[in-house]
Amino acid sequence: MSSLFATYPSLRSSPELLVRHRPILTTALTAGAALLALAGCGSSASSSAGGTTSSSSSASAGTPVTGGNLTFANPQDAQSLDESTVFDNNSIWIIEQITQPLFTVTANGKGVTPWLATGYSVSKNGLAYTITLRKGVKFSNGTPMTSKDVQFSLEQTMAASQGWGYIDTAIKSVEAPSTDTVVVNLKYKWAPILADLALFANGVVPDNYGGKTAAAFYNAPVGTGPFKFDYWHKGSALKLVKNTNYWQPGKPYLDSVTWTDVPNDNTRQLQVTSGQAQIDQFPAWSTVAQLKANPSVALSLFPSTETTYLAFNEHVKPFQDVNVRQAISYAIDRQALVKAVVFGNGQPANSLFPPQVPFYDANSGGLQYNVASAKAALAKSSEPNGFSTTLTVPSGNSDYATIATIVQSELKPLGITVNIQTLDPNTANGNFQSGKYDMEFSLWTMDIPDPDELATFGLVPTSGSKSFFTFYNNPAVVKAVQAAEVTTDSAARQADYNTAQTQAAKDAFMAFLYYSPYAYVEGSNVHGFNVTPLGNYHMEDVWLSSGSS
Amino acid sequence: MGRMSFVFRRLVLLVPTAIGVTIITFFMVHLIPGNPAVTILGQRANPTTVAALDKQLGLDKPLIEQYWLFIDHLFHGNLGTSLYYGTSVSSLISSHLPATLWLLAYAAVIAIVISVPLASLAASRKDAVRDHVVRVVPLLGLGLPAFWFGLILQTWLGTKLRLFPVTGYGSGFTGHLQSMFLPALTVAVALCPVLIRSLRASMLNVLGAEFITTARAKGVPGYRLLVRHVLRNAVIPAVTVLGINIGYLIGGTLIVEQVFAIPGIGSLMINAIFQRDFTVIQSVALFYGVLVVLVNLLTDVAYVALDPRVRFDA
Amino acid sequence: MSALSADPAPAPAPSPAVAAAPVRSRRARWYRQPTLLTGLVLLVIILFMCYAAPLLTSFNPNTQNLEEPLLGLGQMGHLLGTDQEGRDTWARLLYGGQVDLRIAVIAVILPFILGIIVGSLAGYFGGWVDAIIMRIVDIVVAFPFFVLVIALVFVLGTGGKSIYIAITAVGWVSYARITRGEITVAKRQEYVLAAQSGGLSSVRIITRHLLPNVITQSVVYAMSDIVQDILAIVTLSYLGLGVQPPTADWGTMISAGQNFLTTQWWLTTIPGIAVVITGLALSLIGDGLADLLRTGTS
Repeated sequence: MSSLFATYPSLRSSPELLVRHRPILTTALTAGAALLALAGCGSSASSSAGGTTSSSSSASAGTPVTGGNLTFANPQDAQSLDESTVFDNNSIWIIEQITQPLFTVTANGKGVTPWLATGYSVSKNGLAYTITLRKGVKFSNGTPMTSKDVQFSLEQTMAASQGWGYIDTAIKSVEAPSTDTVVVNLKYKWAPILADLALFANGVVPDNYGGKTAAAFYNAPVGTGPFKFDYWHKGSALKLVKNTNYWQPGKPYLDSVTWTDVPNDNTRQLQVTSGQAQIDQFPAWSTVAQLKANPSVALSLFPSTETTYLAFNEHVKPFQDVNVRQAISYAIDRQALVKAVVFGNGQPANSLFPPQVPFYDANSGGLQYNVASAKAALAKSSEPNGFSTTLTVPSGNSDYATIATIVQSELKPLGITVNIQTLDPNTANGNFQSGKYDMEFSLWTMDIPDPDELATFGLVPTSGSKSFFTFYNNPAVVKAVQAAEVTTDSAARQADYNTAQTQAAKDAFMAFLYYSPYAYVEGSNVHGFNVTPLGNYHMEDVWLSSGSS
Repeated sequence: MGRMSFVFRRLVLLVPTAIGVTIITFFMVHLIPGNPAVTILGQRANPTTVAALDKQLGLDKPLIEQYWLFIDHLFHGNLGTSLYYGTSVSSLISSHLPATLWLLAYAAVIAIVISVPLASLAASRKDAVRDHVVRVVPLLGLGLPAFWFGLILQTWLGTKLRLFPVTGYGSGFTGHLQSMFLPALTVAVALCPVLIRSLRASMLNVLGAEFITTARAKGVPGYRLLVRHVLRNAVIPAVTVLGINIGYLIGGTLIVEQVFAIPGIGSLMINAIFQRDFTVIQSVALFYGVLVVLVNLLTDVAYVALDPRVRFDA
Repeated sequence: MSALSADPAPAPAPSPAVAAAPVRSRRARWYRQPTLLTGLVLLVIILFMCYAAPLLTSFNPNTQNLEEPLLGLGQMGHLLGTDQEGRDTWARLLYGGQVDLRIAVIAVILPFILGIIVGSLAGYFGGWVDAIIMRIVDIVVAFPFFVLVIALVFVLGTGGKSIYIAITAVGWVSYARITRGEITVAKRQEYVLAAQSGGLSSVRIITRHLLPNVITQSVVYAMSDIVQDILAIVTLSYLGLGVQPPTADWGTMISAGQNFLTTQWWLTTIPGIAVVITGLALSLIGDGLADLLRTGTS
C-alpha cells in the first residue's frame, strides 16, 4: 500500500529506533566480534585500494566512465552532518561519503576490512591496539591526514555523551606516537573494538576541526572521503562534489552527488523514470512489480537486516502462558503478510536474527503458519476458549495498519478477539517502552556486523531493553547469549546462538513476522551502486554511463 | 469618509489583528496534549532536549511572560530553532520563500489570463448559451481537488507527453517558467472559479452602468466597448479579488508544492508536520497570518487608490 | 469590507419590505428552478448510490485479493477493477463516499451553529460586542484555512475527531459574517422595533423573528462549505493525516492509486471525478437556493 511517505517504518517512528542507541546499551557489544573483524581483516588487508566494497547491481558493467552528476531522491531530508551525534539514517549514509573511519564494513555486512588503516597489532594483554595508518591520505582541502587527526576524531566522539559516545566506552585513551601510527588503549579486553572503529561516528576529521568551532565545522564538514561538502538547502537538496584529493586512484567517478528531499513516493518514481533523478530510495512496495517491468529503470532489492516482529507483553495475562503465544504465532500467515505489506518482496521470518547477521541459524525453524497447531496450542493453554486483547498500532503507518487487520482476522477463528488501538506514534512508542501494552509491533535493523547487540537487546531481561520490552526471561537462553559474548571460538558462538535462536522461537516470546530488503530504483545509466545489509553505500564506486545528469 | 482616513483606519485595525494572529500562533503550543515539550520531541525526548525546548519556548515561565518572550523574539527576527535541523527557522523560511512567491505570482497571472476572457465572454451576453457554459466552469472547479488535478497534469503532460519537467523548481528564469508551469496551472485552476464569478458579476455591473449605455448609443462597437471600458474596469477588481483570496491561494500552494516537489514554504510546513518540527509549524503559520493581513491591507489600499468612485463604510 | 469574496453566492440581503413575506410562495416555486432541481437530483443520486452500496455491489471494500491485484475494468466481476491490494474499486468508491460525505456534513454543523450564534450577537447588539467579534473574525480569517487545519491536526493528532475540531475552529467565521450582515439590516425593520418596544427579550427576538428569515443565506453558504470540507478531508487523507487506512475514502484511494496513473489510471481518476461531481451537485444546490432567494424577494 503506497502512502505519501516511505513505508519503511525505520525511517519514521519505529519503536526501536531511539532505544537501540541509548547509552544504557553499552553492554551490547561482544568479545566474539573480534574474531569476525580478524577474519574480515585478514582476507582483504592485501587490497591496495582498501578493499572493494561494491558489486555491480545494475546493468552490465563495462568500463567506468568518469564524470557526471547524480541526483539521489530520498523520502526524507538529512538531519545533521555531525557524525558524533546524529542517529538519522539518511544523515549517516551521506556523512559516510565525506568522512571515513579506520575500518569499514564488508559488502556482505558480516565483517570489517581496513579502510584508512592498513593493519594493526594487539598487545599481549589485549588492551592496546596499535593501528597503522594508510600513507598518502589527504583531506579534501589538501592537508595530509596524520595520527593527530585520528586521535582528535576518536576523542571527539568519546566525549559525545548524548550522542555516539557510548560506542567508544571501552576506550581509555588514544595516543599518536608517530605520524602514521595510532594506539588505542582499552579499559578492558574488548574484542568488538574494530567493529566499533568501523562505525561512521568514528570517521576521521581534521585535528581541532581545522581551527573552527565544532558547530561551524559541522555546517560544512571536511573529511578524507570521496566527496566534499558543497551546499545544503534544507528541505530541498544537499550536494557533495568530487574530492580531487581522494586516496583511491581513479575514484570517485562522479563529479557530484545531490540528495533531494522528495517525501512523495509517486513524485520520486516520476523523477527517476523521467530521468530527473538517477536513484530513488525506498519506492512504495506496491510499485515494485511495475518498476521491475519498466525497461528504463533497474529495481534492486538489497538484502538487509530489517526484521518486523509482533511483541507480547508477558506481564499481561494471558501472554505469560507460552501456549497462548505459540498459538498466536502459529495462527499468523506470514506469507500473506509478505504479500500484503511488501508485495511479495520479503520472506517469512524464522528467527530473531535476520539471515544477514553472523551466526544466523537457518534451521531454527521458527513457528510458521499452521492453523491446526495453533488450535492445539490454544487448547492446551490457560485460555482454551479464546480471550480478548488489544493490539496497539502507531497512527500514520499504513504497513502496521495492514498487518494489524490481517492478524486480527487470522486470530478471530481461534476465538481471540483483537481490538486494534491506534495511538499517535509518540504515545504508542512510550507505552511500548514502559510496558503498557498487550501486543505491539517492533522492528530491528543492525548497526554493526555482530549479533550480540540484537541478542542482548531482545533476549536479556536485565539489559535496559527488558527483552525487547516483552519481559521474556528464559535462563537457558540468557546463559547461551552471555556465553557467546565471552568466547572467541566461532564454533562455540554458533552453537550458543543456535541454542538461543531455537529456544526463543519455541518460546514464541515474539512472533517473528518477516524480513524485508532495501529497495532502490536506479536509472539504466547507473552502475556500481550497492547497498550493504546495514544500509550504507559507497558512492565512489558509482558511475554513469551516459556521463550526464 | 475620505480615502486617507479609510487607509488610516485600516492601518489602525491592523494592529489588533496582528496581535491576535500572534496570540493564536503562540497558543498553539498549549493545545498540545500532555507535556508539550515531551510530546513535541517524541522520540527525541530525553532530559537534555526537553530542558532545552522548555527553555526555548519559555514553558517554565508564567503564560504572560511566555507570550512576551515570544513577541520579543519576533521583533528581533528570531523565529526559533528548528527541532529537526537545529538551525534557525527564519533561515529556513527565507530560503524557501522564493519558490513559493514564484508559484503564487505565476499562478495569479495564469488565473487572470484564463478568467478575464472567460468572464468577458459570459458577461457580454448575459444568459446566452455561452454565459451558461462559462458559469458551469466555476461549479466544476469549486469541487476540484487541486492535488488530484496536479497529479493528472503531471502524469499526462509531464511523464507521458514530456512537455514539461515533472517536478522541481528549475534554475534560471526560463527554467522556472518551464518547471513551474504545471504547478502554477494547478493552483490557478483552483482559483479560477472564484475569479470568474466575481469578474463576471462586476463586469455585469459595469455593463449596466450609464456610461456604457451612452457609449452604445453613440455607436461604439461591442468589441471596443469590451476592451476599452469593461476590461479596464474589471482587471482592477480581478487583482483585488486575488488579494482578498490570498489565503485561499496560499492554501492551494501547500499541497501542490508537495506533489511537484517544489522547495517552497508549503513543502516546509508539510515536511515539518511529519518531522514533528513544531517550531517550524508555528513560525510558518505566523508567517502566513502576517502575510495575509498585509496583503489584505495592500489590497484594500489599492482598491481605494484605483477606484475613485468607491465609498467606504466600516 | 469585501464586496467580492470567496463566497460563491454573494446574494444581496432581502429587502426590508418583504422580510415577512409568506414562506409559502417561496416553496411553491422551488421546483421550477432548474439549477436547484438539477443539484438536488444529482445529490440524491449520489447519496443513494453511496448508502445503497450493499445493493449495488456484492464486494466488501476491504477484502483483499493479493493473488490477483490490479485487475482491469470489468475483469472478474469487478466493475472498476481492483487496486494494488485486490480490493474492489467500485465498492471502495461507494463506501468511501459514505465516509467522506458523513464527515463533511457533520463537520459543517458545528461551525454553522456556532457562527450563527456569534454572528447574531454581533449583528443584533452592535457596538463593542460587534467590534470585538469582528476583530476575532479578522484574526481567524488571516490564516489560510488549510494551513490552520493541518496545524491543528498536527497538534491534536490524526483522525475524525481532530478534523471536526479543526474545521469548527476555523469554519465558523463565514457564518458569523453572513449572519451579522443580515441581522444588522434586518433588525431595523418595523416589526422588530415593535417587538422591542413590546418588551420581548433579545433572545426571543433573535431566535423567533430574525433568524428564520436570515438563516437561508447561511444555508446557501453551507452548501459550498460542505464542498470545502470534502476537499479538506480528501486532501488530509491523501497526506495520510485524515482517514486512516484501511478505511476507504476518496482521498486514500487517490493516494493509493497515484503510482499507477500511467497504467491503471482509473484508480486515481475516478475518485477524483466523484469528488468533482459531488461538489457540482452541492454547488448547484447552493446556487439554486441563492437564485431562489433573489427571485423570491422580487
